[in-house]
Amino acid sequence: MTAKQVKVTINGRAIAVPPGTLVTDAARAAEVHIPVFCSHPRLPPLGACRICVVEVGMPKRNRDGSPVLGADGSPEIAWMPKPQTACTTTVADGMVVATESPGAVKARKGVMEFLLVNHPLDCPVCDEGGECQLQDLAFAFGRDFSRMDEAKRTFVSEDLGPVVKKEANRCIVCMRCVRYCDEIMGEDALTAHQRGVRTEISSFDRQPLECEQCGNCVEVCPVGALTALPYRFKARPWDLRQHITICPWCSNGCSVRLGVRGTEILRARGTEHRGVNQEYLCVRGRFGYAFVNGAERLAAPLLRLGGELAPAGFDEAVAFTASRLREIAAQHGPGSIAFLGGEKLNVEEQYLFQKLARTLGTNHVDARTRLTAPLPGDAILKATGGGRPALSLEELGSAGEVLVLGDDLQGEGPFAQAVLIRGQHQKDVHLTVAHPRRVKLARPKFRGEWLGLKPGSELALLNALARAALDLGEPQGMPPEVAAGLPALRQALAAWTPEKVERATGIAPAAIAAAARRLREAPRKAIVFGRALVEHPQAAALLQAVENLAWLTGALTAERSAVMAVGTQNGTQGALDMGLVPDRLPGYLSPADAAARAPLEKQWGVTLSAAPGMTAPEILKAAAEGRIRALWIASDNWLRSAPDRALAEKALASVELVVVSELFLTETARAAHVVFPAVSFAEKEGVVVNCERRLQRTARALSPLKGARPDWETFQAVARALGAGWSYRGAEDVYREIARLVPPYRGTGWGTMLPLGPRWASAGAPAVAGSLTPVADAQPGAGAPAEGLWLLSGGVLFQQGSLSHRVELLQRLAKGARAFFGAGELQRLGLAEGDAVVLEGPAGSLTLPAAVDDSVPPGAVFVPYAYPEVQVNRLGAPSGAGLRVKARRAGVTASVGA
Amino acid sequence: MSHAPVTVALETRPLEWPEAARKQVEEALTHYPNRRSAVLPALWIAQRTWGWIPPGALRLVARTVELPEPEVFGIATFYTMFNLQPVGRHHLQLCMTVSCSLVGADRLYEHLRRRLGIEHGETTPDGRFTLRKVECLAACGNGPCMQVNEDYYENLDEAAVDRILERLK
Amino acid sequence: MSRGPLLFKDIDTPGLAGLEVYRGLGGYEALAEVLAKMSPDDCIEVVKASGLRGRGGAGFPTGLKWSFVPKDTPKPKYLVCNADESEPGTFKDRELIEKDPHLLIEGMILAARAIGANVGYVYLRGEFAWIQRILDRAIAEAYEAGLLGPSVAGTGFRLDLYTHLGAGAYICGEETALLSSLEGYRGQPRLKPPFPAVEGLYRCPTIVNNVETLMNVPGILANGAAWYRQWGTEKSPGTKIFSVSGPVRRPGNYELPLGVPLSTLLNEHCGGMRDGFKVKAVIPGGSSVPPLPASLLDTPLDFESLNAAGTYLGSGGVIVIDDRTCIVDALWNITRFYRHESCGKCTPCREGTYWMAEVFERLERGRGRSSDIDLLDEVADNILGKSFCPLGDGAAMPVMGAIRHFREEFEYHVTHRRCRVNRRREELDALRSAPSAVEVTA
Repeated sequence: MTAKQVKVTINGRAIAVPPGTLVTDAARAAEVHIPVFCSHPRLPPLGACRICVVEVGMPKRNRDGSPVLGADGSPEIAWMPKPQTACTTTVADGMVVATESPGAVKARKGVMEFLLVNHPLDCPVCDEGGECQLQDLAFAFGRDFSRMDEAKRTFVSEDLGPVVKKEANRCIVCMRCVRYCDEIMGEDALTAHQRGVRTEISSFDRQPLECEQCGNCVEVCPVGALTALPYRFKARPWDLRQHITICPWCSNGCSVRLGVRGTEILRARGTEHRGVNQEYLCVRGRFGYAFVNGAERLAAPLLRLGGELAPAGFDEAVAFTASRLREIAAQHGPGSIAFLGGEKLNVEEQYLFQKLARTLGTNHVDARTRLTAPLPGDAILKATGGGRPALSLEELGSAGEVLVLGDDLQGEGPFAQAVLIRGQHQKDVHLTVAHPRRVKLARPKFRGEWLGLKPGSELALLNALARAALDLGEPQGMPPEVAAGLPALRQALAAWTPEKVERATGIAPAAIAAAARRLREAPRKAIVFGRALVEHPQAAALLQAVENLAWLTGALTAERSAVMAVGTQNGTQGALDMGLVPDRLPGYLSPADAAARAPLEKQWGVTLSAAPGMTAPEILKAAAEGRIRALWIASDNWLRSAPDRALAEKALASVELVVVSELFLTETARAAHVVFPAVSFAEKEGVVVNCERRLQRTARALSPLKGARPDWETFQAVARALGAGWSYRGAEDVYREIARLVPPYRGTGWGTMLPLGPRWASAGAPAVAGSLTPVADAQPGAGAPAEGLWLLSGGVLFQQGSLSHRVELLQRLAKGARAFFGAGELQRLGLAEGDAVVLEGPAGSLTLPAAVDDSVPPGAVFVPYAYPEVQVNRLGAPSGAGLRVKARRAGVTASVGA
Repeated sequence: MSHAPVTVALETRPLEWPEAARKQVEEALTHYPNRRSAVLPALWIAQRTWGWIPPGALRLVARTVELPEPEVFGIATFYTMFNLQPVGRHHLQLCMTVSCSLVGADRLYEHLRRRLGIEHGETTPDGRFTLRKVECLAACGNGPCMQVNEDYYENLDEAAVDRILERLK
Repeated sequence: MSRGPLLFKDIDTPGLAGLEVYRGLGGYEALAEVLAKMSPDDCIEVVKASGLRGRGGAGFPTGLKWSFVPKDTPKPKYLVCNADESEPGTFKDRELIEKDPHLLIEGMILAARAIGANVGYVYLRGEFAWIQRILDRAIAEAYEAGLLGPSVAGTGFRLDLYTHLGAGAYICGEETALLSSLEGYRGQPRLKPPFPAVEGLYRCPTIVNNVETLMNVPGILANGAAWYRQWGTEKSPGTKIFSVSGPVRRPGNYELPLGVPLSTLLNEHCGGMRDGFKVKAVIPGGSSVPPLPASLLDTPLDFESLNAAGTYLGSGGVIVIDDRTCIVDALWNITRFYRHESCGKCTPCREGTYWMAEVFERLERGRGRSSDIDLLDEVADNILGKSFCPLGDGAAMPVMGAIRHFREEFEYHVTHRRCRVNRRREELDALRSAPSAVEVTA
């Protein structure tokens, strides 16, 4: 039953709106423009700037409630004596609003004049010029001369850091920046200080900002008081072509508006009202575009014919690749060829990559190069409900209870983090953050609980939560095939007594029980996980445990509830969907299922092998042992992503043919025999799938760098050279084939993805059936030291993969590789901050400076994985419950590196 | 500009509450259902403890009431009575608003600035006096009025002011 | 001799600030009677019937405000006493708390009980630290005597009273800004609705009352509405304490029934002007209200009469401006006050007070233009009613009133490039040009 609509008349035009609508929004619906400054869709009404003042009245009523009628029979209006701010006034039934009456116009012009009293005439030197809301409104409502010719108040603007440039004289004190930083970012880095006309926005004690450097304060600033320092004085908006595309940095899939002049990206901005993120961007999305125009971009294929890699022509490289692949397949069988990587490709390229592999006759295909243990290709799909409708990020931000498992969303999915922060400020979202470190989302100021589990006890925690959820009573709504597993699971979970739970996880049983209860009882709930579970040696068991918990708490059965997998790369979901895994074809079809294979075989003109191939960790081992003879690595710096560096180095040295598709001459590319130069996200069109399983179009903002090609062209060229009759004229052709053959993508097309693409879900039966399956605890891995500190790793905001090495600003913000210890642990080791510390793992050691971070628990050391100067995978692969290292003071002065 | 000699070390070192102050802060916290309401009492206690509120004290207050540091900075600077720079031992705050102005406050200010050799906001080199013009002190019927630290001195003229300064060491 | 019929009846009794003397004069008897005989709702009705209106400046009917507190809510309720007295020309609350703190406590206990509040705060301006000590001592005495705490006078009604010191911000006298400050934010006002009676301190029902308002409550509840109405007028019943400042013979606080003419206050109670001074204008209600020219001195001092005369009763801060004081100079002083005290939240007040102060400075320094007078009036008019809170109105109204009544003095500044009279400037110039008998001694 819909709520009764409320009738309001604006400038004589009557409309009906839902109750609770603000006059500003009602005006928009009536196509009446009311200017605003301090009002922002993501922030609660403030009513400070007063530019939106309008005249508001209600019909006069007699005592019996009937309207008082005037001489002409129309209701008489009792106008409020003072004009009201439209952004803070809720529509009442019968309300009358006048925005162009003499009173309203005078009030608005008066406010406009006041806004310009102290605002400097900086337009010629202000970056905001041309896209400035104050300019626009002054032009619309202001005078063409100023009555104010007194001296203006001025400030000396301090340095706020490399991202935000402040010009305090221009500030109109709308407080959007401060409020956005508080409400949405949860950083509280900005504040207003002083008062009155001396009010100034700054940081603590006017020091450079120590924050996420997201630049959203710049984005929401309606004037040029806060501008982006990297963009300063570079261009005027009318110089730029602006293209909206999808950010390449993580799986949130934010829309980004690239500003391009000539062949250069000059800036990236949010999109105000578009995409999943609207105006939001993180520091990577906003400032990370620099790598696109990097001087070191590969501009020609490279061939190693003699000893060194040398530039070659494209056709030459293609011919060489094809002939070598043909030779190796003939000599050692197609099962000696493996295809790795692809999590940074778009869907069309991912599809062609695996098609190339399977056309060649191999199922050794895996995009998930960071896995430390084999994982079925549909494990994540299964854990997230088997194709059940996924949660949107917006729904995540209005769930009642959200459990975040093991990942620091600040590094893995910054927008998802912002959604949750905004949710707990504005929509009563409650967070339970399970992480050994007290990561940002676990800070006490947020509405939530922190489950600071002992490193390595993830499975124990999940089992304990499941047990606690089950103790609350039989879960409802599970499909019969899932419910059938309940008795066995119940029996297995009985072993998780409170004592065992506390011993294993270090968390009080009462806290776990409370968390399970919150999840169970919330009408809308979500469980979020990412690389911490997927890249874990016990990944398969952990994902099953997540699924168990999801069924038992109702996360997979309740409305607007789900399990969300936040992938590490922008193409992580796409790679799974497109079958860049050894045991699933595109669309999660089983290669063993002849009926499922048939349409693909028909289209591709090949017979597909029914036997699943090797996963990435298995390929790594096999390549090092000589059983894999040819490797094609696409969009992946494998030497850094492989779990064991030494093994990967051995593999690349012994494999006969290494083909690498890359943007830059990475370490991996340097070890290749063929390097194909790829193009960046900004230089190609295609489709990417985000963590919501939403399909989104990317736009081509730049022509491809001369000499480089989109990967799909390279794959097609090699396929054709191998004799396959591929004839795609463009990426859209590829997509059309996908839409025909890949079940979840049926019925979609490039044209259906704007403004916001669809999220795919399995129609009818799930793509993979769910189950409740007991999962046992792992045994410590053989060869892993039983002692030592747990190595905690993961992505951080300023370092996400080797691509971030190519962005100077991100490197500067990351401040150099360090090993982070809690203060107590550092003391116990006899180290001071800055001392060189040696970390010894099962396969090698690292030396790097020590630093204090009190979010790191005792018994652990935190080393983010993506510092350029540190190769964390040199320590060796995690096994069992994780990776332990020994730490000691270095004997010599600090030097960083292996 | 002349300033009272300041222990520069206070500027940067992290601060902790001395025992007596800590007790006062704990007591103040019991007056409110949440911690942030105690930010003003905590800032006052900090100012009474150190004579002014250095950045270290702002950080300490932020920790104590569990607020972000920038926010405490913004709160402290909103109010005129929190001294974020050192002040002299005797903070001379002379009301200059209309009622006191009608009965000679401006003359008194002139007298003070000549006698002490400092301007509004400044401190004598020996750290004894800081002079400041302030707004209405709610002593309008007994103007001119000057508040010295916490004490009110009313019905002033030059001679009365001289006597007061004499006694303030 | 008594200085007034109600609050000032015994105000000068030595030791009144202590419990013993207070009790000796009948203090806390009203409390006992009310606790014994009247329900909280009864109390609200009596205060309503008495017609008591807020004495801080807004003049809102007190009983009506109390009745807005929802009865059936699980949220705790709060009573807040606004002792932020910062309106220029006003100094009544200061004397009241300084000398008679127990009457405030008694009034707060009764008010809290009427609305169902178990916690009360007295928000004192930061400069009143010395008065806070006096009040804290009285509160301690009240706790010891069982008049505050878990069971007020043994009735089981729990009330805790705390004092809270501001830190120098006039805006915190506005009730929502006061609540912001009390909650530990920058003291900026908040949106209304919701009104504090429904959603105030910590989003709970809260009543904010002025000191003088609360101190009237014991008498009203003990003696009844009719008794209270023996003073004052029909629409402005009761007494008001007027704070008189400026060059009168006896400046100070005077409690008078509402409706007494301004001239009576000045001539009979304050002894008229000092020798050699004549009245030019009187601001009757604190600096936020328009001035009255000397011709309107017979205006009765009540809400309605002053409205009819184009001004407001406001806080009752009566500022007397003599005929050798420059009106423009005085308004410049007042405008500087508002610029300094503007919280900065809203555009019209933040920018408008700055602008007006700058124009006033030019006029005073002899650099005014003929367009400046209309400009000031228009700028003020553009603030009036457009600002977020009444501080903007308070900045605008005196300027507009001064221009309305004393336009020719403004025009003199433009045509002659100087003040017509300016006693303040003359005295200052005389001091500055005198050979300096004053040495730097500090």
